[in-house]
Amino acid sequence: MANNESMYWNPILETMPREKLRELQVKKFRRIFEWAYNNSPFYKKLYKEAGIEPGDIKTYDDIKKVPKTDKGMLRDVQTRPPFPYGDMLAVPLQQVTEFRQTSGTTGTPVYQADTWQDWEWWAENWAYILYAQGYRDTDRIFIPFGYNIFVAFWACHYAAEKLGAEVVPGGVLDTEARIMKMQELKCTAFGATPTYVLGMADTARKIGIDPASIGIKRITCAGEPGASIPTTKKRIEEAWGAKVYDHIGATEIGAWSYMCTAQRGLHVNEAMFLVEIEDTETGEIIDEPMKNGKMVITAFDRIGKPCIRFDSKDVIRWADYDCECGRTFRIIDGGVVGRADDITKVKGVLLAPTAIEEVVRSFSELSDEYEVIVTKKGDIDDIMLKIEIKPGFENQQPDILNRLKDLLRVKTNLGYKIEVHPYESLPRYALKAKRFKDMRQH
Amino acid sequence: MAEQYKIDEMDAKIKQIRKTAEELQQLGGNIEAVKKNIVRLLASTKMLELNISDVKLVM
Repeated sequence: MANNESMYWNPILETMPREKLRELQVKKFRRIFEWAYNNSPFYKKLYKEAGIEPGDIKTYDDIKKVPKTDKGMLRDVQTRPPFPYGDMLAVPLQQVTEFRQTSGTTGTPVYQADTWQDWEWWAENWAYILYAQGYRDTDRIFIPFGYNIFVAFWACHYAAEKLGAEVVPGGVLDTEARIMKMQELKCTAFGATPTYVLGMADTARKIGIDPASIGIKRITCAGEPGASIPTTKKRIEEAWGAKVYDHIGATEIGAWSYMCTAQRGLHVNEAMFLVEIEDTETGEIIDEPMKNGKMVITAFDRIGKPCIRFDSKDVIRWADYDCECGRTFRIIDGGVVGRADDITKVKGVLLAPTAIEEVVRSFSELSDEYEVIVTKKGDIDDIMLKIEIKPGFENQQPDILNRLKDLLRVKTNLGYKIEVHPYESLPRYALKAKRFKDMRQH
Repeated sequence: MAEQYKIDEMDAKIKQIRKTAEELQQLGGNIEAVKKNIVRLLASTKMLELNISDVKLVM
């Protein structure tokens, strides 16, 4: 880093004293609330029915009175004009320049409208992320994703340009071609889902390239929790010889958090977002650290289709530590630790699929892929884990299975049937992996 | 931290940029090349406002 180079994209906001930050959040919340109230028929109706109007938001505690929104509402508004977004829209349709949609893994996709200002805002938020992760104008960044209707790494691309970095779009190339292009151009960084990053390393080895030899210095992961799962992160870092940083965002929210170079938890960009953690049983807002709850989030500056007190169902917790980087933005510990709607009871035990990933990825004898299938036989739940053993370790199978069963029992309090599949026979994913399959009738 | 930066001066310049852009938009009338480029200029200006001018909300 040059002597006069800042550690921060915006040192004023990123190191603002917390009491000032809280004051700023209340003022910005009131501003987006007023915008939505005055410009979005959906929000106006929601707030009028709740008997709340912009003048009622004076303190942080007042924010709790504002009704939440959820994905069901986002889908429901799409049945009303203007097509295809519905009456949550807060700008005339001709101001919309960007269409994106959610992946639809939890139901009907949500269509997201953004104005050009919103798109600048997306890139701005990603600029905070990339800068905090050490990206600079000297980087050559490869973006190996499909450049399609999913927001994925679109804003990463624009933010990298904003930083002055050189961007190589790896759009329609297949995985082999992407690796060869990264090697040829001596790319220094790239971003993808953890699943795909691991898959790329496998592919590289198959074509005789050691991924660690390519010269990648940093990798930004998003879309899945893997980069915050220590065993998965370690696998990626060892495979690529690079630092791996997590980032969490969502189509309907924005790019709201990032791991910095200290690699300890993820900062919430509190100048641009308000994150509240809600106790799933009492509905109270959790302020104390290390207590899980579901995230309710507001994007302060997204005007096309505002995101206000959105119940994301992501389970997160505040960290009980500060970051050495000096940012005052609060940290969430361990990334998204689960989903309120996919932490499920199996045999009466609460199970978060991320706990299984943590165990499987801690076995160096196992491949990166696995699959979990929950079924019901009569009244009894059955949980099956499908794994692959790496070539060269087949003769250790009994020992591996015994150790795996024991560790799974310790970490998840459940007994598993384990099925060993031939190496490379389980499905491989380029975007979000679907490894947890609950086949029970609910 | 905020005290070591010239926030008032920066904010004043940002306001000038917005004012100039909006005046140019008016002058441009129905010239699409002006209108649409001003939309982009104002979006970038907004990012400066979020980064700098908003700090004045808590000064």
